[in-house]
Amino acid sequence: MLFNDWLKDDSKIILFDGAMGTQLIEKELTIGKIPDIMNVEYPDVISSIHKSYYDAGSDMCQTNTFGSTPLSLKRHKLENRIGEIIENALKNIKEVRPTECLIVGDIGPTGEFRPPVGDASNKDWYSSFLTQVKLLEKGVDLWHIETISDIEEMLTAIKAVREVSKKPLIASITYKRTKKGFFTIMGDSLEKCINMLDKEKIEVIGANCTLGSQDMIDLLKNAINLTNKPISVKPNAGQPKIDGNKTFYEQPVEEFAKDIKEMIELGAKIVGGCCGTSPITIRKIRDVIDSF
Amino acid sequence: MSKGEFYNEISKAIVNLDEEKAFEYANKAINESMNLLDVIEKGYAAGIRLVGELWEEGEFFLPELMRGAQIMQNCLDLLIPHLQKGSEKISRGTIVIATIEGDIHSIGKTIVGTMLRAYGYDVYDLGADVPAEKIVEEAMEKKADIIGVSALLTTTMINQKKIIDLLKEKQLVGKFKVIFGGAPVTSAWVEECNADGFADNAIEAVKLVKSLLNQ
Repeated sequence: MLFNDWLKDDSKIILFDGAMGTQLIEKELTIGKIPDIMNVEYPDVISSIHKSYYDAGSDMCQTNTFGSTPLSLKRHKLENRIGEIIENALKNIKEVRPTECLIVGDIGPTGEFRPPVGDASNKDWYSSFLTQVKLLEKGVDLWHIETISDIEEMLTAIKAVREVSKKPLIASITYKRTKKGFFTIMGDSLEKCINMLDKEKIEVIGANCTLGSQDMIDLLKNAINLTNKPISVKPNAGQPKIDGNKTFYEQPVEEFAKDIKEMIELGAKIVGGCCGTSPITIRKIRDVIDSF
Repeated sequence: MSKGEFYNEISKAIVNLDEEKAFEYANKAINESMNLLDVIEKGYAAGIRLVGELWEEGEFFLPELMRGAQIMQNCLDLLIPHLQKGSEKISRGTIVIATIEGDIHSIGKTIVGTMLRAYGYDVYDLGADVPAEKIVEEAMEKKADIIGVSALLTTTMINQKKIIDLLKEKQLVGKFKVIFGGAPVTSAWVEECNADGFADNAIEAVKLVKSLLNQ
């Protein structure tokens, strides 16, 4: 298995992809729609975005299935189309994947919170994740559970993946910065999350979204001392701004790539980008990695 | 226990998220025919203000904030029917809130609604993905003071402007204050739309509403 070889190879820094949503915004394709349905409605666009990341130098890209769980799709009245959505998502990425690169099955949060914030139960989460994982399993090389803001939801997602799959798994939580350190919005500290994830059957511990690259450097400085597992980072490229009807991200690509360089030097094993990043960002990071 | 101490105990029960105690004090206030408006303002509201401050400081997180607001709301539901008829109206104002059409993200909007309710406002939460026409219609019907419109995505934020455009079209400008919420919203956007304000979080939203209603 290629991914495990990469993990064992100390000289290998694995380059993940950048944002899908931001690329769809660029193409003005997201008004009111969940990006997952684009797998069916605009397969060529989705494929071309995956291809642009592979071409830019990503070692692995993730399926466009962030919201492809029954719970998430239900809010868009699309839960009955989950089979078709995931089938197409796999096809869209498979046809552009270079042989030496990998396909990552992307699992995002269900969007439903447990009480007192919402009314979801562990059982709801589990069956929702399980449905998604079963449909994706045949077409992916490894997994990325990402942007999770509740450690309980993360543990449930891990359980669902492990019920079905023995493939490598990256588990990325999204943290915000507070006066007392890094926490999820549900109040789980970075320390607590990493300690809990460290005991799970996962290959990589990650952090993604919410934080920009500068804050992610600080998070990594803490995280690196809390686990022996490899660490993955996918920060945002600053905050979105609106100009007329167009969204853009202010942070210069060079600055982002420089921060990623620092994260690699600190010990990050997998690097990539979240919201606001593009194939241009990934190309810059490729250059950084190749310069080591 | 002096009145001041009693109010303090109520506030403490809210901050400690102790619903049992909070109920006990509400029943005590009712049974002893206390001035319930004072009990609400100096006890319960003071407590929820502290919860909000703790949340802003990063001491409390979403579960504590939501639980505090729910306990507050449950106590208000118990107290309000006992307010004497003809006494000062408890509602501080009426607010219609919704997540704008095209956007199904409701958590932020729900938190804002819960906090506003906890502060004594009448809140009509229309849910997510609500067309601008429907929001304005409901605001008219409920005689709202304020319309609050949420959008999580930069792509759907554009639709917030529809509310302002619709109010202009229907010659209703000035009838309601219009406020925006949501991660991508900035003061520049509010200015561009001629809206009345925006808030970064639920506590800021309460402050904004208070200031717009001169409270």
